[in-house]
Amino acid sequence: MSDVACVIVGGGPAGLAAARTAARHGVRVTLVDDNAALGGQYYRQMPPWFRASAGSVLAPESEAGRALIAEVRSLGVELRLGATAWGIFDQRTVAIATPDRTEQISAETLVLAPGAYDRPVPFPGWTLPGVMTAGGAQNLMKGSAVLPGRRVLVAGSGPLLLAVAHALLEAGARVEAVCEAASMRGLWRYAHRMLPHLDIVQQGYRLHREIAGAGVPFLTGHVIRRALGDGAVTGAVVSPCAEDWTPLPGGEQTFDVDALIVGYGFVSSLELSRLAGCEHRWDDDRGGWVAVRGRNMESTVPGVFIAGDGAGVAGSAVALAEGHLAGLTVAARVGRLAAREYSREASRARGRLLHLAGFRRVMDELYRFGPGLAALAEGETVLCRCEEVGHEEALQAVREGAMHVNEVKAWTRIGMGRCQGRMCGPALGQLIARATGRPAAEAGVFSPRPPAKPIPLGALTR
Amino acid sequence: MEGGDLRMGGVERGRALGVFVDGVEVRAYEGESIAAALFASGHRFTRWTARTGEPRGYFCGMGVCQDCLVTVDGLPNVRACITPVRDGVRVESQRGLGDWRVSP
Repeated sequence: MSDVACVIVGGGPAGLAAARTAARHGVRVTLVDDNAALGGQYYRQMPPWFRASAGSVLAPESEAGRALIAEVRSLGVELRLGATAWGIFDQRTVAIATPDRTEQISAETLVLAPGAYDRPVPFPGWTLPGVMTAGGAQNLMKGSAVLPGRRVLVAGSGPLLLAVAHALLEAGARVEAVCEAASMRGLWRYAHRMLPHLDIVQQGYRLHREIAGAGVPFLTGHVIRRALGDGAVTGAVVSPCAEDWTPLPGGEQTFDVDALIVGYGFVSSLELSRLAGCEHRWDDDRGGWVAVRGRNMESTVPGVFIAGDGAGVAGSAVALAEGHLAGLTVAARVGRLAAREYSREASRARGRLLHLAGFRRVMDELYRFGPGLAALAEGETVLCRCEEVGHEEALQAVREGAMHVNEVKAWTRIGMGRCQGRMCGPALGQLIARATGRPAAEAGVFSPRPPAKPIPLGALTR
Repeated sequence: MEGGDLRMGGVERGRALGVFVDGVEVRAYEGESIAAALFASGHRFTRWTARTGEPRGYFCGMGVCQDCLVTVDGLPNVRACITPVRDGVRVESQRGLGDWRVSP
């Protein structure tokens, strides 16, 4: 017997959309998120009592999420905020922890919407304070209206770089340069495929024009090489890169900065879906692991649905549509939505996803992950930020015969720390692939272990 | 920018709070994360690592990387990025795995 009809983990676009749709159909929903407020990363909100004066521009996506958050609240969804989902047992029993206690909720249906995080890319100096991910920089600005620094360099790949650089300029920071790894050559080839998505193209073009208008160098085909500094970042070195993002010798440029923002795309958070026993597969287009799902967002474990970036990075619009479809399927599954109506609504949702997929494919091709980034780390460069395992140490294990990430883990402690291998896992897979000449898929992925995130020991005793 | 800190201008923030960072009081606002309050007041560094004693700070900003760990009112390993500030809270830079101060 289940405690609730539906548990949703994650309060970003996918989780919120699933909660809204399921709750609209009368499903009893519990939503868990370890942030103190709803919204996830994309819809991150400032505290409601913060007031922006006229003329100052706040993140438009925060604005867009406000109505959805309000509706989820008004529909009576039971919210467990500031609660960490740290394990999934018996396929659909979710263990959650607050600083004081843990509890287990068994659910008839489970929607996992854990989202994604910035792909961690080790390079010399990446552990210096003041070096942060694009998502981290956005969270400071969107969530608290705090600047990451006054002189900033933004390096990585994808449209998020433009959004971050633009937000920095609006807020009065100096952006020294934006380094986009993709060459962006032959953009015209995509023109006909982007026609149905002109609004997004125009938005990107506007950001680009305003950034260039502010005199900020936009360096395409360039990657970050090193962060400089002693105790905190004071400089950033960039250089040209090849089509696969392998850094090229020569052409290095150094910028004085007090913050370095790095964002080479995103990787899905797989820990919970893996703990639930769902199947995953390697996706070359995204340079990462994605969840195997049916057309209704159901994973390979019956009753467990995965929606949004946590199933495969595709952005917020896709996350909303997938969350909605998962919510519909949940409602049908627990007997709150008749078959005929479900079939009509679900096919409409799939039509929306099909429309968005065209745009997504262009993004995936244009900003296709370049495995050449694996050449940035060298010698003592830290790979595992928790256990402080360096590039050379991991590489030595591979030279001695380790072929799978779990083997390198057993030999060096890489991935055994508090982040559970989220930071070093993707880069270690790339390192093994590069050193062995085998596909990254064969390097595998760390075995997930509960607790998926650290929880206080005391919480387990109560 | 107001008052020489990294808070953006043009935003009314509501109630000001006092937060102690390694014993020194800094200004914060209700609703900010500990990390935002630290950053705004120029504290980019949060801890020294256990093995090599390297300085670390706010990195992923979303509760994933576990690098912005601080000790809060004596409790070590608190993620500054997703923990809201409270008035009078004592935040300390953390050495290694933290001091557990286990009482017998």
